[in-house]
Amino acid sequence: MKLELGYIHINDIQFGPESKVQGDVLYVNKDEVRAMLLEDETIASVDIEIAKPGDSIRITPVKDVIEPRVKVEGKGGVFPGIISKVETVGSGRTNVLKGAAVVTTGKIVGFQEGIIDMTGPGADYTPFSKLNNLVLVIEPVEGIKQHAHEHATRMAGLKTADYLGKLAKSIEAEEVKTYETYSVTEGLKKMPDLPRVAYVLMLQSQGLLHDTYVYGVDAKQSLSTLICPTELMDGAIVSGNCVSACDKNTTYHHLNNPVIEDLFEKHGKELNFVGVIITNENVYLADKERSSNWAAKLAEFLGVDGVIISQEGFGNPDTDLIMNCKKIEAKGIKTVIITDEYAGQDGASQSLADADVSADAVVTGGNANVVIKLPPMDKVIGHPEVANKIAGGWDGSLKEDGSIEAELQVITGATNELGFNRLSAR
Amino acid sequence: MKGEHHTNMIIITNNEKVRERYGEDHKIMFIDGSYRDVLIEARNRVHQGQKLLTHPLMGSVKPNETPFKSVAMSEETGPLSMESLQVIEHSIATYDKFMEMKRPHLGENASESLKDDFREIDLSLLASALG
Repeated sequence: MKLELGYIHINDIQFGPESKVQGDVLYVNKDEVRAMLLEDETIASVDIEIAKPGDSIRITPVKDVIEPRVKVEGKGGVFPGIISKVETVGSGRTNVLKGAAVVTTGKIVGFQEGIIDMTGPGADYTPFSKLNNLVLVIEPVEGIKQHAHEHATRMAGLKTADYLGKLAKSIEAEEVKTYETYSVTEGLKKMPDLPRVAYVLMLQSQGLLHDTYVYGVDAKQSLSTLICPTELMDGAIVSGNCVSACDKNTTYHHLNNPVIEDLFEKHGKELNFVGVIITNENVYLADKERSSNWAAKLAEFLGVDGVIISQEGFGNPDTDLIMNCKKIEAKGIKTVIITDEYAGQDGASQSLADADVSADAVVTGGNANVVIKLPPMDKVIGHPEVANKIAGGWDGSLKEDGSIEAELQVITGATNELGFNRLSAR
Repeated sequence: MKGEHHTNMIIITNNEKVRERYGEDHKIMFIDGSYRDVLIEARNRVHQGQKLLTHPLMGSVKPNETPFKSVAMSEETGPLSMESLQVIEHSIATYDKFMEMKRPHLGENASESLKDDFREIDLSLLASALG
């Protein structure tokens, strides 16, 4: 399967009378976007704001971040099974508004997640401070249940990303990058001497505010399965995960998975990137056993020499991670796991809630318990009062001057377990 | 996806919403106590040969945030399950680690509406397993 990504670099975002991409500027007609989102009867109001790199702006509580993309050639459309039909994506050409993003915010439950600072020390911890963001502040109708509220917020983000992506449908991208994977037999013929490597991508799948969708299917309902890495680049995997801001994978992460990016970089040179095994992180221990059995079975079936395993979230996914690692190693396949740590504010405590001797090659995204100070910003988009009720914050986290003292885990993407950040430990 | 079918299941919980929703169809051991009390009850039962059916640290809500916890276990006893013992001990250690941090029991001091959100999340996580 072969996909070309056409990068249309966006360096500025502005409101204007007409939504369009002109040069490196993304213009957005606010009223048109609002009218589109208010078609959803569960949404009472939408406030639309702009946040650019360097602005003295804090966005909170962040629910999802989505990169606008559009299919230019090839089958299907972006976010299949949700925005587009279920046609298999991942081939042809897709245009990307590189440097732009849609950010959704909303108070779905009383306790909150996720800060993006566009400047200052907090900005260094999140990749999303470097983007030209269109921020949607979504207020649902009275009396709505949390499930419906989460759904409305998620759909609003995806619809807006789709709307912005379509503005770039007829633009000829100056920079085009090609990604190609081969069938198992083709790959063996083309790269007989290179080590065969697969990627085991673990998806959060535990219930309200903890879900991920693959072609529209709730990942907790699925057995571990195979997916072509280019399918993710067309939005085959969408995040509905709103908990544990620092180490959840937003839709932006799934579209721009750095493990996939790096494996493609070495594909055909140092290794043969065979494909992606997706597996879930369910609540039932029997599900964990079954899913990790299947992940190991698929790795063996593909005949790979090594796998990289990435985790999502805190706590019980450590058990899935270790089960995957242990069972795949037992098949004689080498593993590297990617996680993050909750090692206490001093970094001295046990990092994970599970462990095994076979997990001897570990990459960490950093310690989520480290205490950081975020200075006040001129403007807060969303709900500033939630800083006291945010994961990693505590009573008094939000100071009178608007500054915040809290753990690193308050920041969206800070200790991302795909490695889409700059923190680690050696 | 549902796990293996267990006719003899018991839910250890301190969450009233779980008791209301599952009380008629399932055996419930209601704990009038803390998240940790639920974990300790589960550990005691593991020592007596019962097995964990759900992971005690289900969900990404941190132990110092939510005061509510539900754990599904087999009711029948057998030989000690080392897997269950490891998982419950790791869970208690993780819980205790969070309590040593700067602000334990965030959720216990929360407003009633916030507590209700925590109950709802706990119920939803359990429901994703039980259906």
